[in-house]
Amino acid sequence: MGLRWFHFVLWGGLIAGMLLLPQVVSNGTLRTMIFANYLAIFAISWDVLSGRTGYVSFGHPFLIGIGAYTTAILTKRFDVPVEISIPVAVLVTMIAGLIVLLPALRIRGSYFALVTLAFMELLYQLVQVIRPDLTGGTRGMSGIQTLTRGAANGYYLSTALMLGVAVSMWLLMKTRLGTALAAIGMNEESVRGSGLSTTRLKAFAFLTSAFIAGLGGAFYVHYLGSLAPRALFDINFLFTIIVAALLGGTSTIIGPMIGAFFMTFLLEYLRPVLPGAERYFVYGAIALLLYMYQPKGLVELVQRGFQRLRKGGVA
Amino acid sequence: MLQILIQGLLLSGLYALIAMGFTLIFSIGRVLNLAYGAYLMVGGYMYFWVSQTLGMPKLMGVAVAVVLGVLMGVLKYRLIVKTLKGDHVAVEISTLILAVVIQAGIVLVFGDSSKILLPIVPGVINVAGASVTHNILIATLISWAVLLGLYAFVRLTHTGRAMQAVSMDAKGAAISGIDPDRINLITWGISGALGALGGVFFASYTQLSPSMWVAPLIISVAVVIVGGIGSIIGTLVVAHIVGFLEVIVVATLAPELRGVFTMLLIIGVLVTRPQGLFGREEL
Repeated sequence: MGLRWFHFVLWGGLIAGMLLLPQVVSNGTLRTMIFANYLAIFAISWDVLSGRTGYVSFGHPFLIGIGAYTTAILTKRFDVPVEISIPVAVLVTMIAGLIVLLPALRIRGSYFALVTLAFMELLYQLVQVIRPDLTGGTRGMSGIQTLTRGAANGYYLSTALMLGVAVSMWLLMKTRLGTALAAIGMNEESVRGSGLSTTRLKAFAFLTSAFIAGLGGAFYVHYLGSLAPRALFDINFLFTIIVAALLGGTSTIIGPMIGAFFMTFLLEYLRPVLPGAERYFVYGAIALLLYMYQPKGLVELVQRGFQRLRKGGVA
Repeated sequence: MLQILIQGLLLSGLYALIAMGFTLIFSIGRVLNLAYGAYLMVGGYMYFWVSQTLGMPKLMGVAVAVVLGVLMGVLKYRLIVKTLKGDHVAVEISTLILAVVIQAGIVLVFGDSSKILLPIVPGVINVAGASVTHNILIATLISWAVLLGLYAFVRLTHTGRAMQAVSMDAKGAAISGIDPDRINLITWGISGALGALGGVFFASYTQLSPSMWVAPLIISVAVVIVGGIGSIIGTLVVAHIVGFLEVIVVATLAPELRGVFTMLLIIGVLVTRPQGLFGREEL
């Protein structure tokens, strides 16, 4: 499976470091970390589908939004306990993922990206018009039950969730299944030629991606306690997810995580200088330059640095 | 009824102009320029700045917008599309990022709030009981004039025929002595000009806001997908389908549902006929 002892040491170190963090940093930093954790979950979810199989999804907010809206409506309007509403939300998101899968079986490349974008816009317009008494219409919903109180608890919850997703995805991608998914991204025909069902593999990638997106979306909305269609089904949100995955490095697990933390903290440090949407000007420019000149992401940079060090040691 | 017919025709003409610039790039460069909506936004804002903030003549405002559109198109081709060497997904992602950057740039310069554009030509005219503003009427007439001019350009001039050749087979065109790079550059310039001009009209039809680029981008996408790859006739027909669909939905169902049916149309056509309604046709 390609597992090495130092992988586990690195994961262990990361987990221990992240769990010890609330002892040393301020609550403000912790709140930023919570956002970074959720963004990392979304970026991993995007990467499982788009980074590996090459089916670029521009509609990830669609999946996240379905998860968020389902649990928000269930708990707020029907008083369903969260222990039930979150699993239901994840299930509904997976069903929605299957609906997006259907066109993906026939179209690819640019057309697939566009149809997912259309799904996102469709949902954005629908939640505002259909049953505003349930969805909250244009204004969205507030006063949604929160799971935890205080920055530290929210941090522990989101960290546990993020690391759980990351480690399980990492293990999954080490299996032959993960290799097959990545192979679809390289050459779909040859995967089919070697006797594997690409339809089944794609379905698996969609369901896994939707599972993570729904899980992240549901927990995220119970952390925020509110949701708004403008913030959720928004190109800026989509942009942040995609750029986090690309910037860190696709087809890796640590890449989207690094990307998410890099992006969140960059945005946070820009806040005093540029308080509003102007932040995306600097943010986007950095993302564009990095993407164009370092398409494999920050992970590649780090790896190359390590290799150079190792070679230097031998010589 | 007549109101719907006239409104539909006017809106469709404008949509045809907007979608044409997007179709051109897709047909010749084979890439989707997701920053296309940003041309429209920049065109609209430039016109607003020159004619309403600086108080210069309106024609001057249109001219500045169009020149800037050409410049943006050419720069985008040189700096991004050519650098990425035909990697479609990379071009789409980077143009999407660019659109977000331009949107943020607009917020940086003009602020977050939306702005009302004064009508380019004030006044209202009564056409058989339906009231039509001069503004949208002129916009539609100019749109049609530009579209006809473009059609003539593509059919009759040497450069236009070279564009058709590149759209069919870039390698073959290169062998017969056409410089595809130059043709692409011209196409991106024309696309930028069409986008900026469409943006001025579109903004005077709705209003200026930093997120105004999404709706026309989606319309262009719908037109390209439903119309099939880069056919001028397909673009015209589908622009009318989308335009009429919107006018009818707004008039008979609810204004908020305006975009829903456009989106359903995209999804429906992509799922049932991925090659579009009109399939592949020469430019």
